[in-house]
Amino acid sequence: MKTIPVLRDKKRYIVFEVISEQTVTRYDLAGEIFNSVFSLLGDAGASEINFGLLSYDGRYGILRCKREKTSDTRAALACVNTVRGQRISILVLGMSGTIKGATEKFIQQSIIKESEPE
Amino acid sequence: MSLFDARFYDLVVHLPGNAEEISRFSFVAKRYGYSGIALVNSKENSLHTVHKPAGLSIYRSVEISIKPSRLRDEIKKQRASQNILIVRGGDEELDRQAVETEGLDILLQPAKFNNVLAATAANNSITLGFDIGSIIRLRGEPRARELRIMRTNLKHARKYDLQMILTTDAHSLYDLRSPREMAALAGLFGMTTKEAADAMSKSPMEIIRKKSHDYIREGIEII
Repeated sequence: MKTIPVLRDKKRYIVFEVISEQTVTRYDLAGEIFNSVFSLLGDAGASEINFGLLSYDGRYGILRCKREKTSDTRAALACVNTVRGQRISILVLGMSGTIKGATEKFIQQSIIKESEPE
Repeated sequence: MSLFDARFYDLVVHLPGNAEEISRFSFVAKRYGYSGIALVNSKENSLHTVHKPAGLSIYRSVEISIKPSRLRDEIKKQRASQNILIVRGGDEELDRQAVETEGLDILLQPAKFNNVLAATAANNSITLGFDIGSIIRLRGEPRARELRIMRTNLKHARKYDLQMILTTDAHSLYDLRSPREMAALAGLFGMTTKEAADAMSKSPMEIIRKKSHDYIREGIEII
């Protein structure tokens, strides 16, 4: 059964871009992010931020977290530095309250921006 | 509107490579939202001719690593130049020699900082550097140790009104993080967002101003 609205966690959706030489698979990236969150915040902290990797297409991705814990989540994302020996870095494009907003505002925008100069 | 609309700088970037590498790094830095970087001990002779995006400036800095007894002479020798002088903190002896010499710009991550050193650093207007890169690279106990060092350094910096800067100590373009991430990481050891934003924009700008051609001494200017 669904939780009643007042008891639901307020969420934020973080849109990020993975910067790396070769494409990173979803499985590897999710593992590395979870690893980073657990090592930085501990088990108790990780249970609190309610995070989850919602979508990832090889370049752009959306991560869910609790509204009050966006700063901790950003810190944990910033701590990701290698995946299977390959150097990567995660650039946060923005944050939104809805998935629709996140996709429209940041992912589509940056795709449009990229195609413009040509 | 927000604290993050300012111009941001990263003053400790190690790029030993050629102009092409510097150019690639500068485009990524611009994307991350930086307005300027300073290359440490760069061998590239002509930084002006490097292909870089508009609105990003590249400065030069020198990291001095020498034994403590000769540090003072080395700083005196170099302080007249336009390069930003950086000393990586180490044991107390080295930190003491560094803060007691006027002309040094940045003391990066001193491990054993105390109130005496902080007061001296404030007198000589030396900026305290925080190496955020160590939080990114390390895991487990070493990271906890670095965070503890930064926490005590922050305490001293607040007490003695020291200028602070944040840096990722980048060796490649994958080490760079955007200013908001830097602020979030700085929050891990108790730095407020306002302090973090100032540490990436106001303090570096102040250092760059001091190293510009027009600057003579604090309080003196040519009209």
